[in-house]
Amino acid sequence: MSLPCGVRNHTYAEDTAIVRTRTQWVLLLALLVFLFTMPAYLNNYWLGVFNLIGITLIAATGLNILIGYCGQLSIGHAGFIAVGAYTSAIITTRFDMPFLVGLIAGGIMSGVIGIIFGLPSIRVKGFYLAISTIAAQFIIMWVISQWSWTGGQMGMQVPFASIGNFVFKSGQSQFYLIIGITVICIFLAKNLARTRVGRAFIAIRDNDLAAEVMGINLIYYKLLAFFIGCFFAGIAGSLFAHWSLQLTPEQFSFTDSILYVGMIIIGGLGTSVGPIFGVVLIRLLRETLTNNVVPYLEKSLTFLPSGFASGITPMVFGLVIVLFLVLEPRGIAHRWNLFKSSYRLWPFSY
Amino acid sequence: MAEFLQFTITGISVGVVYALIGLGFALIWKSSSVANLALGQIVLISAWFNYSMLVDAGLPPFLGLPLVIVFAIFLGWVIERVALRPLITQPILSLIAVTLGIGYFLEGLITFIWPLSTAGLGEAAFFPKSAINIGPAVISQEYLWIIGICLLVFILLTLFFQYHKMGIAMRATADDQMAVQACGIPVTRVFSTSWMFACVVAAIGGVLISSIGSISHGLVDTGLKAFSVVILGGLDSFIGAIIAGPVIGLAESYGGGYLTRYLWAGVRDIIPFVIIIIVMVIKPYGLFGEKRIERI
Repeated sequence: MSLPCGVRNHTYAEDTAIVRTRTQWVLLLALLVFLFTMPAYLNNYWLGVFNLIGITLIAATGLNILIGYCGQLSIGHAGFIAVGAYTSAIITTRFDMPFLVGLIAGGIMSGVIGIIFGLPSIRVKGFYLAISTIAAQFIIMWVISQWSWTGGQMGMQVPFASIGNFVFKSGQSQFYLIIGITVICIFLAKNLARTRVGRAFIAIRDNDLAAEVMGINLIYYKLLAFFIGCFFAGIAGSLFAHWSLQLTPEQFSFTDSILYVGMIIIGGLGTSVGPIFGVVLIRLLRETLTNNVVPYLEKSLTFLPSGFASGITPMVFGLVIVLFLVLEPRGIAHRWNLFKSSYRLWPFSY
Repeated sequence: MAEFLQFTITGISVGVVYALIGLGFALIWKSSSVANLALGQIVLISAWFNYSMLVDAGLPPFLGLPLVIVFAIFLGWVIERVALRPLITQPILSLIAVTLGIGYFLEGLITFIWPLSTAGLGEAAFFPKSAINIGPAVISQEYLWIIGICLLVFILLTLFFQYHKMGIAMRATADDQMAVQACGIPVTRVFSTSWMFACVVAAIGGVLISSIGSISHGLVDTGLKAFSVVILGGLDSFIGAIIAGPVIGLAESYGGGYLTRYLWAGVRDIIPFVIIIIVMVIKPYGLFGEKRIERI
């Protein structure tokens, strides 16, 4: 950790604090105030976009714990999100339980399914694990699209989220709910990385044999990583269900799973700010592409084929993922750190 | 009995195509230890290119099919050159992720150029469709053609790896990259060639499988199902892929034929993935795979 000039650690409490200087406190509070006053400046459409960003961010944070910290590659994240979404939807509609129960149950259910499909991670890693998570995605989505409880291909209707008598009906209230939970999740993830568990994850990522030799229980920690990563996915899924009000199996496709991996790679693996950058970049890129760039190009260039509108977004995303891996494998988070240190040192670069 | 025989033949023919696509995976994995997860998209784009050549451009098969091969070679060369070459010393996570990115890009490209969601070769199908009788079963002739062509490709590939200079160089690279480099074999060219070969066999697989069914987004899943072949057979084993392919195909065919009435529809498409999970838990390195012993 690099600190600004002149900041010293006098106590252990100071050493372990996340926010150290007054400037950091001011910036953090400014960011939080900005976040929670956002409904004042944004119309309903953009609130929707930011709601989706918040939901995606929770899922991406979970995936970052799994891939970025623990090094267990999972390409079935959309499947685990679907588990959370459908669990929450079934609990609230078929059992008439409150939303909060659905939220927690969605997370736990998703975590348990994650442990089951994470079992191969005890014996294999890298590519083998990637394949078994792909298999998990397809098996989960098959069950969801065939089971009568989930409504099969037709999907199911989900009520608004509610706590007590308060129903999160308007765009603003949904925004506060989602952003509130997102902030809590990011805070938890940030702290998790600094605990014994997080350090064990990092040791496993860097070399699992060496970690085992040092006395880290590989089976326990790998499955724990799967549980936590998928728990976040389940929370995100539950919020998504009560936000979009309509669930169909197509909303959780394999390409989405790829995109989640892409987002955290673009943001920067194994950093707490990485997922934020990645998710915001990809979601805003999608918004600008579908709302501004594509209509403009289609109007000005009449010879474009009819698949242009639906084909351009995956093409750009794929290109962005490949370019980031080739040109900046450490993601935007690395650039952000470079910017921070050069800002701090300016004008003397030493 | 007739039903059983029919399931067997279709299962084997689909299975050998899986084996072919899986071989495309094993080729790259063996020589450069890159896991190519864009395989499904490569299969799909080759099938669509074939459609363009035979249906849109109306070329006869003896002109169109070689063009598909040329296209696949070009595709393999471009992918290796642009995306994989700069990442040669990177960790496996980046290598897997970059192929995911390529797959995503290709998927966009496919929707971009071929916005149709599904298409069949129709008149341009090049296998004789007439059915023949084998014992009590009535089987469309195309399945037998597919089995024949796949076996031919297997034999050609085996001969190539056994006797051709490049084939031997590729096997040597798979064995020990450093030693090969010290012997003066251009490792980068070996990587490039293995990508071209992989794309060609995947393209052949795509053309074959789309000639019995139709061309649709489901072919991407076909490419993913081919992973079950390499997982079952062992990632670095050609023999494993060739044996495991028909096994997977048969499991899928029998499962689809006999289990659908007890379980939900679509169980056929899930069987390869269930096999992946089972193999992963019981025997992760497959039937013929080499277990890597790691040292710190």
